Amino acid sequence: MGLREFVIRRLVQLVFTFWAFFTILFVLFRMVPGDPTSMFLLDGMTAEQREQRIAELGLDQPLHIQYINYIEQLLTGDFGQSFIYREPVIDIIVVRFMNTIVLMGTALVIAYLIGVTFGALMGWWRGSRFERGGIVVTLVARSSPEFWVGIVLLSVFVFWLGWFPSSGMRATGGDLGGGFVQRYGSLDFLRHLFLPALTGAIVYLATPTLLMRSTMLDVLKADFIEIKKAEGLPERTVLYKHAARNSVLPLVTVMAIATGAAMGGSVVIETVFNWPGMGREMVRSVNNNDYPVAMAAFFLMGSVVIIMNFVADLAYVYLDPRVEYE
Amino acid sequence: MSLLEITDLQTYYRAEGGWVRATDGVSLSLDHGETIGLVGESGSGKTTLAKSIIRLFPDNAEIHGGSIEFDGTEITELSSKELRNRIRWKEISMIPQNAMNGFDPVYTVGEQIMQVIRHHEDGTSKAEARTRARELFDDLGIDPDRIDDYPHQFSGGMAQRAMIALALALEPQLMLADEPTTALDVVIQDRILETIKAKQEAIDSAMIMITHDMSVVSETCDRIAVVYGGRVVEIADAETIIMNPRHPYTLGLRNAFPDISSEDEELISIPGTPPNLVDPEEGCRFAPRCPFAEEECWSVTPEPQSYGDGHIVECHRADEVELLQEEAGKKETWMEQDLGKPEELSTDGGEPQTGRSTDGLEGDHE
Repeated sequence: MGLREFVIRRLVQLVFTFWAFFTILFVLFRMVPGDPTSMFLLDGMTAEQREQRIAELGLDQPLHIQYINYIEQLLTGDFGQSFIYREPVIDIIVVRFMNTIVLMGTALVIAYLIGVTFGALMGWWRGSRFERGGIVVTLVARSSPEFWVGIVLLSVFVFWLGWFPSSGMRATGGDLGGGFVQRYGSLDFLRHLFLPALTGAIVYLATPTLLMRSTMLDVLKADFIEIKKAEGLPERTVLYKHAARNSVLPLVTVMAIATGAAMGGSVVIETVFNWPGMGREMVRSVNNNDYPVAMAAFFLMGSVVIIMNFVADLAYVYLDPRVEYE
Repeated sequence: MSLLEITDLQTYYRAEGGWVRATDGVSLSLDHGETIGLVGESGSGKTTLAKSIIRLFPDNAEIHGGSIEFDGTEITELSSKELRNRIRWKEISMIPQNAMNGFDPVYTVGEQIMQVIRHHEDGTSKAEARTRARELFDDLGIDPDRIDDYPHQFSGGMAQRAMIALALALEPQLMLADEPTTALDVVIQDRILETIKAKQEAIDSAMIMITHDMSVVSETCDRIAVVYGGRVVEIADAETIIMNPRHPYTLGLRNAFPDISSEDEELISIPGTPPNLVDPEEGCRFAPRCPFAEEECWSVTPEPQSYGDGHIVECHRADEVELLQEEAGKKETWMEQDLGKPEELSTDGGEPQTGRSTDGLEGDHE
């Protein structure tokens, strides 16, 4: 089978995955207890008002009608209105989603760059002091809670050294609008980004480092590594071009999954650094039974996982010639 | 002057209990264009001996003593950089046992051949290297267009040919072939061996053929060195080793391989396992498994004795060649012997080895 056919088949699979994902989301949200009006009952909402409100939101329809409406809305990119803000969900969620992606994307890129490099060197210098020290440092980073890492960084870099701002995304506040470059391209933004991204990087560092190290150890046992050494190639070539290149393959999959998890797992970091991201928004919406926002948030998060897995599959084809297109 | 002169080589591995003497006082010489076979069981130290020549061993191994003189250069004294740039592959290349695993799976075979050519020959353009790789493939009976294929797209025999192409790429003076045909079926085995021989003669390269298969060495080698317990216990020209060996271990090895010409011959294996090489005791290392072991064999390490024409044997009873050869041909001789040291037999019932096996020591690089 050709590459083209493989991609097409994979795309069809992607559509089915999304459909299954939509449906599960829908079912999950109809199963959760409480409805959006329950928060207002104490405020003296009458039974009629409540009925009216539920009808407004379309929640009095039979489930299958609700389901069809829901699919229709998703396909048109319409996530409905927030029950609480009374604003289109899309306006609330997209900007926050971008903020989270920029923050966690930076953290993951740093974590994986450092992790892959150090993991490769730790495997290469097996049994050295570097390896032993590296494992200790990695495990300490891995076991430190995110909020604690964040607080330590805050006290050192903000309250003690005063090098970085303590919270938020920008110095001037104001609305979160503006173009992409305007929002994320300024030096001020980068100064705000540094500490939260570093916190994320420290927390996410362990997985790529340890995984890279252990696959390196396996790859270094392979016959071809010995042949490459026998060929008289410089150590650096054997290390990077052959050993590390082969060891990096399993990391592609792990990175895809980690990206998805990071989108949801950013809530602690966003809270510590007061980052206007999606993690916090998601928690808020769930607490308030704000179904449309929560659903959109889950939808975006799940989509990231699904799409990243798709990308990982394609990357695998490119990175490993042995992958058969089945 | 010979191409390679190994004198009293000791390559040891650090182990928990002390030093594993994988190669323990080996002397060997090799002429230009000559093929020598290293025969012995797994764990006998034959691979370590061969890899010592290019100092290709794990971090816990080191050359403890002795010298390796290759074409006027003392290998043991070279810096690793000199070794890489002057000796490895350019002068001494390798054909591994399993060619499929000898290539990096993520690059095409052609890329890997071109890489080694261009690394060792400054100024060779990509196009030139590519032409050379295609020529090598053509020479070895592989379609030149297949240089753009990945290793997993080759069959076992084809991969082995490609590996030979790689080994020949720089026309080295010496090739180390580590059981180059063990992973292949018999028909292909034969063809590969012929190919290796033909190419070796064409570039007048010497070869060290490592194998545990007597039939392979008898076909391909000028001389044969029998390795046991980290030492060369018998060395002579191929015919002598096959027809007229003097060491009981060689006799035993010969028994263990089928002779197609005489169908009814029963295979006889050597009971017991290779010796533990961690700080071995004085005495012949084969004694625990040797049906001819006498008191002297247990207490005195045999010195090499010469029997003319470069036939050297390390055995106290090598003079009694007629007796050894006659008795060694009988199954009872091997099966009914008591393994182990005589005084220990009464207590522990003759378990041959109590120490750690050295199996898997060779080539296992951790």
